[in-house]
Amino acid sequence: MFKAILYQQWKWTRLIVALGTVVAFTIPIFSLSSSGADLDHRAAAVFLGHVQGWGVFYPTLAGTLGVLVAIGLWAPDHRGRHVYSLALPIPRWRYVALRYLAGLTLLAAPVAALALGAVIASATASLPVGLHSYPIGLAFRFTLAILVAFTLFFAVSSGTARTAATILGTVAGLVVVQVLLSATGSQLNILMPIANALLTAPGPFAIFTGRWMLIDV
Amino acid sequence: MSHAVEIQNLVYRVKKAFTLQDLSLKVPTGSIYGFLGPNGSGKTTTIRLLLGLLRPASGSITVLGHPIPADAPGALRRIGYVPEAPHLDPTMSVTEAIWFHSRFYPTWDAVWAGRLVKDFELDPKRLFGKLSKGQKGKLMILLALAQRPELLVLDEPTDGLDPVVRRDMLSAVLDYVSQHDATVFISSHLIHELERICDWVGVMDNGRLVADVEMERFKTGMKRLKVSHGPANTSALPFRVLTRTPVGSNGSEMWLVRDWSPEMAPSVAAAGGELQQIIDLDLEDGFVELLRSFRVPKTTEVTNV
Repeated sequence: MFKAILYQQWKWTRLIVALGTVVAFTIPIFSLSSSGADLDHRAAAVFLGHVQGWGVFYPTLAGTLGVLVAIGLWAPDHRGRHVYSLALPIPRWRYVALRYLAGLTLLAAPVAALALGAVIASATASLPVGLHSYPIGLAFRFTLAILVAFTLFFAVSSGTARTAATILGTVAGLVVVQVLLSATGSQLNILMPIANALLTAPGPFAIFTGRWMLIDV
Repeated sequence: MSHAVEIQNLVYRVKKAFTLQDLSLKVPTGSIYGFLGPNGSGKTTTIRLLLGLLRPASGSITVLGHPIPADAPGALRRIGYVPEAPHLDPTMSVTEAIWFHSRFYPTWDAVWAGRLVKDFELDPKRLFGKLSKGQKGKLMILLALAQRPELLVLDEPTDGLDPVVRRDMLSAVLDYVSQHDATVFISSHLIHELERICDWVGVMDNGRLVADVEMERFKTGMKRLKVSHGPANTSALPFRVLTRTPVGSNGSEMWLVRDWSPEMAPSVAAAGGELQQIIDLDLEDGFVELLRSFRVPKTTEVTNV
């Protein structure tokens, strides 16, 4: 059964996964392209800034891949209004678990590619004294980020269109309320506490924020 | 008599728009049960309930001995289901769709599936989304049959298909049933099609089951009787008078009756009436008249079935 589900998921998400895998492999390589052991203190700081600039792409890629693969996983079922999948002779929880595991299996490719790219880039780059590479740490963080994005959107996508509409409607409603509050000159900010709760530790999206550094002191 | 499907006092509501009201129904094991009803009468909803796709508000459903929805997977392993509209992944080829489906059914008969692909003239490499409506229908029947089910649940499987495809599909179903003693629960509004193959019939209207009888009894028991000087109260008669409509000005009436048999003719005279004419109804006429009798205004007498 798992093989069948995995094959179906591969058909629906192969372009995303293949492209994501290539990008995941190349980001660490490109991020260290201007490295050199003979960099002076000033050049090393510029180099670190360059690495930090590339660091934006890791959480972006993790989030994008997690979301797109999660949506792609449920696409065949949504198109068939879930009738075929619900009529299959397995418990619903098992079907959902199989879909989830199939998604994780597919996402293992970009995660492995990023780890490999980071290790190769670190091994081949000449680093100035005082700087160190953290390929495994970066790959681990990328794995966690992709897991968070995938799991969250897998849960949202598994629901009905009404569920998705409720979630999006709530978000849109909050934004509208904030706009109205601002328009009336109110100092009350209802979005900031929510954003803080989500984006700072232990919020679920804290993993995406902060510096993503393959090379650091 | 054992029953492949038993539904007791089933109630299902979709907000205020539609309700299945206290539905009770039994499908004898080994029968071909035709589930008739106009569009929107509750046929597909009933089928989805008996497969465990929907959850009832109250009542009980047992399919092949499995309580539904509690043990829906256990029942679904033994059921071949052809939905009203084909719901397979459009990006899969015929071969891939068959392979995907087979992974979920331990009783899958790969040899027979291969033979049906040839018999149905399906192109194994063609994507499901690119198949014609008839080919999609054939593939759905193939998937349902090759899993060797004990119960086939077919929800308007031939709706919108040309007569040749319809005949091919129904012959495949009948071949299977004759070889495996399977039970078939088939919904349709193509009445003549069901008339040929079914030995039991249930009629739905507006969320209610208005008839649940053997096909032969339904066909022979529905009559129009032209009666003059009919008694005001027909409850003592051995058959059921569904409607009575005045005909002409001489006191004659046209009765629509159920459960009629020829030996009951003298009972009309015994009740003070005169039986002038007996008019046969085919299944379609009987079906239409039955539904009409449930929808007539209150001024006309209607006896509950």
